[in-house]
This record gives sequence, C-alpha cells and structure tokens, in this order.
Amino acid sequence: MHNVKRVQYSKEVLEARKQRDQARLKQYLALYDRVFDKRKNADFSQEAFNSTTSLLRINSELYTIWNYRRNIMTNGIFPSSEPSKVNSMLNDDLELTFELLKQHPKIYWIWTHRRWCLEHVPDGPTDDDPKGWKTANWKKELFVVEKMLNADARNFHAWNYRRYILASMDNPPPQTSELAYTTKKIEANFSNFSAWHQRSKVLQSLWDEGKIDERSSREADFELVRNAMYTDPDDQSVWMYHAWLIGSGNDLPLLRREIQSIQELLDEQPDSKWCMESIVRYKKLILRNHASSLSAEEQEKLRSDCSSLLVTLEDIDPLRRQRYRHMKQELLA
Amino acid sequence: MQAETGSMDVEVVILGTGLREAILAAALSKAGFTVAHLDYNEYYGGDDASLSLDELRKWARERSEPPHTSNYLSSQRARFTAVSSSWEAVHAQARHFSISLSPTTLPSVGPLIDSLMASGSSRYGGFKLLERVALYDKPGYVKMVPGSKEDVFKSSELGLLDKRRLMRFLMFATSEFEDKPELVGHEDTPFVDFLRQTFSLNEGASIAVAYALAFNTTTSDTTLPALQRIRRYLRSAGRYGPSPFLVGHYGGAGEVAQGFCRLSAVHGGIYILGREVTSITTSEIPAPPSSTASPRTRYTLALQDFPEQLSCDVLISTHDYLDPSLKSQATRISSDRPSQAIARCIAVIDKPIVFRSSQFSNSQGASEDETDGSTQVDTALLIFPPSCLEAGSSTAAANVLISGPQAYAAPEGHFLLHLSMPLVEPTSRTAEELLKPYLDATLSMADAGRETSASESQPIRPSHTLFYVQHLPTPPSPSDASQSLGSLFVPPSDETMLSELSDSAATNAETTFWKVVEKLKEIRRIKRESAETEGDKSVEEPVVDSFWPPISDTTVVDQDW
Repeated sequence: MHNVKRVQYSKEVLEARKQRDQARLKQYLALYDRVFDKRKNADFSQEAFNSTTSLLRINSELYTIWNYRRNIMTNGIFPSSEPSKVNSMLNDDLELTFELLKQHPKIYWIWTHRRWCLEHVPDGPTDDDPKGWKTANWKKELFVVEKMLNADARNFHAWNYRRYILASMDNPPPQTSELAYTTKKIEANFSNFSAWHQRSKVLQSLWDEGKIDERSSREADFELVRNAMYTDPDDQSVWMYHAWLIGSGNDLPLLRREIQSIQELLDEQPDSKWCMESIVRYKKLILRNHASSLSAEEQEKLRSDCSSLLVTLEDIDPLRRQRYRHMKQELLA
Repeated sequence: MQAETGSMDVEVVILGTGLREAILAAALSKAGFTVAHLDYNEYYGGDDASLSLDELRKWARERSEPPHTSNYLSSQRARFTAVSSSWEAVHAQARHFSISLSPTTLPSVGPLIDSLMASGSSRYGGFKLLERVALYDKPGYVKMVPGSKEDVFKSSELGLLDKRRLMRFLMFATSEFEDKPELVGHEDTPFVDFLRQTFSLNEGASIAVAYALAFNTTTSDTTLPALQRIRRYLRSAGRYGPSPFLVGHYGGAGEVAQGFCRLSAVHGGIYILGREVTSITTSEIPAPPSSTASPRTRYTLALQDFPEQLSCDVLISTHDYLDPSLKSQATRISSDRPSQAIARCIAVIDKPIVFRSSQFSNSQGASEDETDGSTQVDTALLIFPPSCLEAGSSTAAANVLISGPQAYAAPEGHFLLHLSMPLVEPTSRTAEELLKPYLDATLSMADAGRETSASESQPIRPSHTLFYVQHLPTPPSPSDASQSLGSLFVPPSDETMLSELSDSAATNAETTFWKVVEKLKEIRRIKRESAETEGDKSVEEPVVDSFWPPISDTTVVDQDW
C-alpha cells in the first residue's frame, strides 16, 4: 500500500489486539465444532443452515461445509418448500457467493457452489414461463463474470466460469462478440494465458461451424501474435498461442515462413530464449512431418541448426540446461 | 500582533499569490510563523490564476495599455506583450469559465503531488486524468503516441522492428540509466539524434518519444534531462490510471494555488487581495547592546486604500512587485534560468475536438468502441513537433491543452484551447502571427457534425481568442558580492514546460522555504535575546524539521471479518 504511514503500535495496543484475536479464534473454533457436530448428526434444519453461513463467511475454504450446506438444502429444506422459496434461497446464495468471491476470487469451492445454485433453480415463476427464473439468472451471470474479469483479467477461474456460462445459456451472445471480447482483453494486456486460450477455443468453434473463413482469420491472428512477439519477446503466453496457431505443423510453407519471421526477431533480439526455443520446435516439426520432401543435406542442416541453438540455450537459460541437453540427444539419436 | 497603532506586525509578508508563493505561504503558516499574503489582483493565483471570461478580458486590457505608475502593472506590461484579442459579444456563461494563465499537466508522482498530500491541501481541489496525448498528423487527423507496452502492441503506425526497438528504449528509459553505456558520453546530444543513433528508432518514433513522451520543446533539447522526464512520467503512469498526468479542475494551477492559500489562512495567514503596494520602506533595528548580532532590517509596506501599514522581518516577493533598487538587494535562492519567452493563445470553441487517427487498428474482432479510430476528447493534449506545419516553427514544438466541462474549465458544450510555444530565437512576428497556423490546424479537428464530411464543412470559428507573448522575469543582476543572507527573497522562476511547471513550483517553494526559515530562526533568536534582557520570555525558538509537518490524523484502518 502506498502513502499509508507505517504506524508504530504501542505495547498496549498490540496486547489489546492479541487479546481480541484470541477471542475471535476461540469463537471461530467453537462455531467450527458446533457445525461439524450438527453435520455428524445429519442435522438438516434451517438453524444448521444458518450456522454454515456464519462459518463459511469466516472461512470459505471449508469445502466439507459447502457440501453439508447443499445437503441441508436438498434433504432438509427443499422437499418441503414452494418453488418460489427454493428460488429465493438460491438467489440468496448467489448473493452470498458473489460477496465472498469479491474477497476471495480464487477459491474453487465458492465457484463450485455458485454453479450448483444456478443448476438447481426450479422451473418458474409460472407454468407458462417455466424458464423465467433460469433465464434471468444466466443473463445476470455474464455480467457478474465480466465484473470479476475487470477486477483481474487473468483469473482463470473466472475465464473457466465464463465458458461455462456461455455454454449453459439458452441464447448466448454470438461467438464473434466473444472473439471481440478476447481482443479487448488481449489489447489491454497481452500477457494473459487465459485470454489467448479463450481465443483459441472461440476460433476453433467458429471454424468448425464454418462461421468465419479459417485461412484468413488464422492469418490475421498470426499478424496479431507477431505484433505481441515483437513488443515483448519474453512473454511466454504469446509463444504458446503461436504454437497453437501452427498446430500440428502439416503446412510446410507456413512453417518456413514463421521460422523466417522469428529468425528476424532473433536477429534484432539475439538473447531471446523464446525465439530460439520456437525455432527449434518448428524445425523439429519439419523434420518429423516433412522429412520425405527434404534432401539428406537439408535434414542435416536443420539438425545442426537446432543443435547449435540448443547449445546457446544451455548458456542463456542454465536452469533448464539438462532439458536442452536431452533435446539435443534426442535430435541426434 | 498589533505592535503599534496603524501597523500590522507579522514575521513574513509574501507579495504575489502564484502557485509557488501559495505553497510557500502554506508551509510557513503551518510551521508557525505569522504570514501576510498580498496580491495586486482581486483573485488568487497571480500569473497562474484561473480566470473567468470577463476577468480574462480585463486582464488582457490591463496588459495592452501604455505603462503605468504601479510597479506591478508596468512590470506585467513588460512581461506580457504582443497582446491581441477578438471577443464576440458578452458570453451569457462568462462566469462558468476557468481559464488558466498557466496551462499545466501534473505528473502523478512528484513534488507537487507530494505537497498536496502531505499538506492536506488536496482536499481543496479536484483532479481529472488527462485522457490522451496525440501528435498532429495532417488536417483533421492525429497520430497516437505509443507510451506504454499496450500502445506499442496496438499501434498500426509502427512496423514490427520499430515495435521491438521502441520497447527496448522504453525499458531502458524506466531503468537507472545514468551510468549505462548507451547513455554515457551522449548526455548533451540532441535527444532525437540520440534516439536515432543509439536505439535505431525511426523518424516517427523518435519524434513521438521526444515531443510527446519527454515533451521536449525545441530541436536542441538534450538527452539526459529528456530521459529523466520520461522516466518520471513512465513511473507516474498507473498511479491514478493509465495516463501519467492529472489536470486540475477549474483551471488547474490557479485552483491549486488557491487551495494552498486557504490552507495558509486556516493556519493563521492573513490575506489581502486587490490592493496595490504603494511603498516599501526599510528600517534598521539595532541589535541589543549585549548582543554581537548585526542590526536587522524591517520592511514596512503601505497599501492603497488600506488604513494600516504592514511591517515584517522577512519580505518574499515575485519580481513584479519590486522596483530595481530593491530587486538588487534580494537574496538569490539559486541561479535563475536564462530568460525565455513563450507565445500563448487562448481560444474558446463550442464544438468538441475529436482525435481521429488516419491509421487505426483493424484486427479481427476489434473492440466496438474504437472501430473508426476516433475519440472525442474533453481533457487532452495535442502536440505539434517542429516542422510539422509549413507555416509553423522548424525549431520549436507547440502544444495545445484542450480542456472542457469534465475538467470544469468550461460550461457544458464549450471547450478551451490553450496553445503554447517557446520562442527559441528573437522574432518580429506577433504571437497571433506565430500561433495562428497552429490554432487553425487544431480547429480542423473540431467535430463540426457527423453529417458533413471533413472537406465540405466550414471550419469552426472560436468565439473568443487571445494571443500574447509571456516573458519570464529578468533575474536580478548579481551585483552584490556578499552572499550573506538578507531578508528580502525573490523565489526562482519555475520551469515553463507544461508538464514540469507545477513540480518546479513546489521544488522552488521548498528551496525558498528553507532559506527563509533559516533567516526567521536567526531573527527570533535575536528577538529572544533582547526580550530576555527585558525579562520577557514569550518569544519561542521555532522547531522546523520538515517542509510539511505530519498531519495529526491518526485514524487506523483496521481490517475486519
């Protein structure tokens, strides 16, 4: 924290704080024992439900208690409740988990509980509109997850959840708008594995469904990722996405072109580890997939290129020396 | 405090309520000294003031008339020359303008922001993040400035190699570069040459870096200071948002100055505005017979239409209030920079400025808000590098600070353009002749309405324009050989660069503060000696150990579950 004065606490203040913490701890442990006792006795009452709320607010990591809470709802409360009561309880839990996620955006069990709530929303509000409650919730979820991603665009829990929401919606927004969303997030900060990953998923599905031209959009993304590579060659996420665009490496001219482009970057930035690694990776792909169309000389040249790059890599990236050695042995075997 | 009838007795009188003097007044008041702060004008801020349209009109009129008997006005007339203006009929919302005489952008890290927070005067003003900095491209169009990794990545104006080189430069510029081999020996190289030779930046990128990141104002500006500025600005980015700069509400510097004056008043400072100082007389007070101290000087000031006289131990004044003989007695705080002149223009328009980039990012799935590459701006900076206009300067850069209703600079639907350009060499051309091409080029960016295309639409006309040349005060000639600390201080002049002015004012205020405190302590010591001989022990030794004493706010925020 900036511009906050460091405060020298007096002995009395520190002692008072210790006392208060002790009291809190005692309180927490008592509550903990009480809730676990109730669980042992299969207590599915409203009172037991409330006690899980108090405990989970203090410690949201207790997945056993999240499970118990769901058991109380399905076994104790829901069977005797009107659908509207069930819906409102689940809405309360959506509220609770949102509040907790704001404090702890990376606790699995909160995300899991949220999904469970959404999936257990009953039909309603009326027989004529059985999907009313559900639709309203899913729509709100997209907004919630966008808020979470605005707070931290690299939270993979939130990205996972976003995919889950989009897949569960009855009328999801078009995939192209999801592509635009990843563009926005990547432009804001391209050091973002999750955003690139999401982009790869979206593009794949757009290609599979024939909604956009695969060749031209792949080319456009080569251009995008090349800009990122040149802007920050040290960023691993960019190279991973490039490798995904290359795919299995069946297109020999494409491999040659990309190797050439990376070589140009390496000439400008001679110490770039990721340039070297990627060139080795793609030259090996040529050797593996296209050996039949190469002369023995050409193959030998590729092998020696890789081997000298691996020797350089041993030097500039000593922490992975053995890995590069191993790769070299494999290559020459 | 009333020692004798008809005289108000204080320790310090400060003449002029510019930003620098205002900070000084607040600091001296907070340190426990008695301060009276005066201004000839009826408003706070002096040369940094924020004025309404009517006040500006009066300001311009006062400075275009022949010399005057008042020291202040004749000095101002010598310092603000070539004034020309065109005013449409009286503006119905004239009072809703806050037009700054010192257009300023405030770096988010630096001496002024430190002073604002440490003194608590930040609570008297609001700030807005500068939205954009752009370079002039061609009529109607700007080039975006690649000032961060994200900008470099998105830029479609830069080639791939340029991106790599520019990023390498930016990484260098944020580092501790002072002893790095890239720089050593090139500290005084003109900055653009350094960028091209050492970092192989292309022409467009070098110009963007030199004039829109370092805010160089001339082609001869050197490397080291430019790099130091860039480092400071890059480190300022992210503190309050993506831009390194803040712009003060209600005209910026003038409003901030007023905040510090208010703080001084809260701590006992006496304020007298709109009074001319008719005479300043000095008198010698002999040291008490037992003391070895030399006699000390006391200043007595008479004010027009003011019954009481003011008398003080220490007088701090801007150049404008002093006649030449007094000026030569002033204690030099630090060596003044060579005098410089700036051509300025203020224009009021009733259409927003739109930053339209001729080349814009067109990657697939481009985010929707920027599809045509244009953004309407409220508070932004437009830079004209040297030689970018045929009719403009080939050695100096001009800049335009655009400020609108969101910065509370103009009423809804109106915008202010503040143009500034340093005068590198003497010229016979008027401010209007010098700046008209820049004003026209800026007006070509105004949004005349969506339906008319750029070629057919009539260029918009400002409803009010004011042109003038501002000269920095001539520093007093270093006549006296004695470097003993007198009791008349003239604070050093501030940097004139838009992005440096406010921090420079804070730094100069602090330098002056310590000199003045040293003198005031000496005077209190002498006073105490003479008081003790008379059996009076009321004069205290002041304890001053920081520019801003800690604020006595000890609320501890405690986390809770």
